[in-house]
Amino acid sequence: METEKLFTIAEALLKPWAKEYKRPDENRLDVYLVREDLLEAVAELAQARWGYLSAISGVDLVPPAQDGTGENQEGRLEVLYHFCNSAAVLSLRIEIPYSDAHVPSVCGIIPSATIYERELMELFGITVVDTPVPDHLVLPDDWPDGVFPLRKSFTGFDSPQAQES
Amino acid sequence: MSLTLPSLVSILVFPAGMFLILLGMVYEYVDRKLVARYQNRFGPRWFQPLADMFKLLAKEEIIPDGVNKALFIFLPILGVTAALTSALYTPMLGFAPAFSFRGDLILVVYMLSVLTICLGLAGANTVDRFSLVGATRTLTQLFSYEAPFMLTLLGPALAAGTLQISQINAYAQDTWWMILTQPIGFLVALIGLMGKLELPPFDAPEAETEIVSGALTEYSGRGLALFRIGKNVELVIGLTLISAFYLGGLANPLEFILKTLGLLLVIALLQSLFARLRIDQTVGLWWRIGAILALVQILILVVGRLFF
Amino acid sequence: MQEKVEKFIVPIGPQHPALKEPGHFEFSVDGEEVTGATIRLGFVHRGIEKMTESRTWIQNLYMLERVCGICSHVHGIAYTLGVEKLAGVTVPPRAQAIRTIVLELERIQSHMLWLGVAAHEGGFDTLFMYSWRDRETVMDLFELISGNRVQHSVNLVGGVKYDITPEQKQKVLDGLNYLEGRIQYYEKIITTDDTFLGRTRNVGKMTKEEATLLGAVGPTARASGVERDVRVESPYASYPGHPVNIVLDEGGDLTSRFIVRIREMFESIRVIREILTNLPESELTVRVPRRIPAGEVISRVEAPRGELFYYIKSAGGENPYRIKIRTPSLCNWGTISSVAVGHKLADMPMLLVGIDPCFSCNDRLVTVRKETSSQTMYWEDLRKYGVEYYQ
Repeated sequence: METEKLFTIAEALLKPWAKEYKRPDENRLDVYLVREDLLEAVAELAQARWGYLSAISGVDLVPPAQDGTGENQEGRLEVLYHFCNSAAVLSLRIEIPYSDAHVPSVCGIIPSATIYERELMELFGITVVDTPVPDHLVLPDDWPDGVFPLRKSFTGFDSPQAQES
Repeated sequence: MSLTLPSLVSILVFPAGMFLILLGMVYEYVDRKLVARYQNRFGPRWFQPLADMFKLLAKEEIIPDGVNKALFIFLPILGVTAALTSALYTPMLGFAPAFSFRGDLILVVYMLSVLTICLGLAGANTVDRFSLVGATRTLTQLFSYEAPFMLTLLGPALAAGTLQISQINAYAQDTWWMILTQPIGFLVALIGLMGKLELPPFDAPEAETEIVSGALTEYSGRGLALFRIGKNVELVIGLTLISAFYLGGLANPLEFILKTLGLLLVIALLQSLFARLRIDQTVGLWWRIGAILALVQILILVVGRLFF
Repeated sequence: MQEKVEKFIVPIGPQHPALKEPGHFEFSVDGEEVTGATIRLGFVHRGIEKMTESRTWIQNLYMLERVCGICSHVHGIAYTLGVEKLAGVTVPPRAQAIRTIVLELERIQSHMLWLGVAAHEGGFDTLFMYSWRDRETVMDLFELISGNRVQHSVNLVGGVKYDITPEQKQKVLDGLNYLEGRIQYYEKIITTDDTFLGRTRNVGKMTKEEATLLGAVGPTARASGVERDVRVESPYASYPGHPVNIVLDEGGDLTSRFIVRIREMFESIRVIREILTNLPESELTVRVPRRIPAGEVISRVEAPRGELFYYIKSAGGENPYRIKIRTPSLCNWGTISSVAVGHKLADMPMLLVGIDPCFSCNDRLVTVRKETSSQTMYWEDLRKYGVEYYQ
């Protein structure tokens, strides 16, 4: 299988940084990384020309429902960098907490990533450090600061998140 | 020159004035309808150009900020006046021109260019960016087709040995159709007319997908209506001149209608056959091919006359 | 006069006769020559991704089909394929076949529409009128199959709504025969008409390396010789049984983009005929649970404009947890601003349309705003980047 071969290559490339591998589907490979290793891993993929960056997805992982026993758990954000190569889809996954929501920019390695990074900044409130242009993006120019529509806490302008800011 | 009743009539009613304006609308309608049919569309109804004109005349004329107001109002009037004036010297409907003097061909050619120059100036007068680009293109195009177009009108004049339109017309009726003796000149003249009227594929100066409406972008209401009248009049005069010179002259109204409409049929076909030329391609076409062809035609004529 | 600092900027959009959808472009020009291009999108952002999170799996299908008006079916396919995978159901073969037929009809429809618009931008209105007239054939076939011309809504989660009867099959085949003749005629025009070639040849030239670097997808990439077609790389629906031949052209200019799209229509016609004559017999739907099991899935399909990417995450409820859509137009925007410089202003509308942009698809999500040209990739940067990339 060509896909298997591609994944073997990808696994070998990402070995120094990968915390965990998962194969959720026959043509998918998920690699869990920490934020600090992201740039090196992406650079390695680009260097070996393993596929192309197809998209960057942000996901808001709200804390699990409280049962009253522990402290309020902090929510986390997950960022997925999807690389496609033929039928194979490789996702680099990093998780970051709300309080420290920033990721490095991969635009230095893959310039076309800028549009996806801007989406992360605007819709999820993830600061992308060193992204070429951090301007207001898809939202109107008069959109209030600190309101991130794709966070689960945003349910409209009467939501607590929008009220706070 | 005192204004007598006949001359007033010829200026205000026929051949210039009301008659020509209405005839221009008829020709505009025929042109639009033909192009539409070539493109497999239905096209406008017969009174559409008239309705357009009334609508425009009734509309408010907006004078944008940053223009010279006097020029903004004056330029369309000047353009139409020049176009109508040139009609006085052409054999409209096959009748003898209202006015005539030796060398009136030169006057007519210049009068026809005045409209284009007015158009260019009108565009340059506004601060709108589309108008400015359009004005640049209009004037660029003017400089490219003007010389070949003039040369092609000069061909029949040389053959007839006069620069008086009525005499060339009379000469054309007596000899072979000059489309046969000067085919190159006819072709260049026809395409030159299309360039003059900014018809596709020479419509780069008003290419709607790039610069909206070119030099006329800021015009509305009366000014726009006048420019459109001017263009229609120019279409009629251009067709008249070419058929008088190249298609065996114009002796009566029937001949006039048949010959000019025949030409219009060809022009409409050419309009729907091609993709729009870029302005650099237009200039290249005229100076590399048009001008040289026209010169070759003149050269053949001169040499031919020497040996006759 | 040499120290001309002020740039003369020609704005195109958000409302402009050349653009049928809102987008804003600023071209700084020197005479007729374009010296810089900036793009601003986002005028039709509708927040669809957020909306999916508060709707049920079924409701979402109907909304996502409305992400785009031209390629609505392909959005539905990407979504249903993903959800069906999450739910662990297999769609019956006949439903897959019908889906694929509509997919390819939609590709023909979209390419015909594009052909007309592109010709119009080039001032070739006759071709515009003719191609749109013939496009009506496809629209009528859609109406025949689904009762709708634009939003066909053929999909269900777990199957399709409409069957194709033998009479309909014959009508579709007849329509395709007519179209094939017409498309052959258009292929002749775009490859032989001198004025048209004058406007397309060597305009917007993009080499294979540049197309790869700029992340081009779909026909735009294939016109530069980049072998990227999800139907071939990772077949879905009926494509495993009826493989598609990838259509490539090495030219990289506008002419190549015309040729690639025209030839893709022949390929689509071939595939539809093949599937129609081998239409399998089976049920049309399969039952899908109301709650989709937790998990996440990536669904890639080849839209008429290129690779369409869906990331769907379910938390096991009645609504999706997150749906991320990346439309093909988005990838291709980057190619414009870098290719535009050095061309004539008159080439800009055709260049813009050359990638077949779909603003609604785009703006659903992301804006590219290139203020003070700080983000425009110029040739130098691109070359530098390319040199580093290839070492």
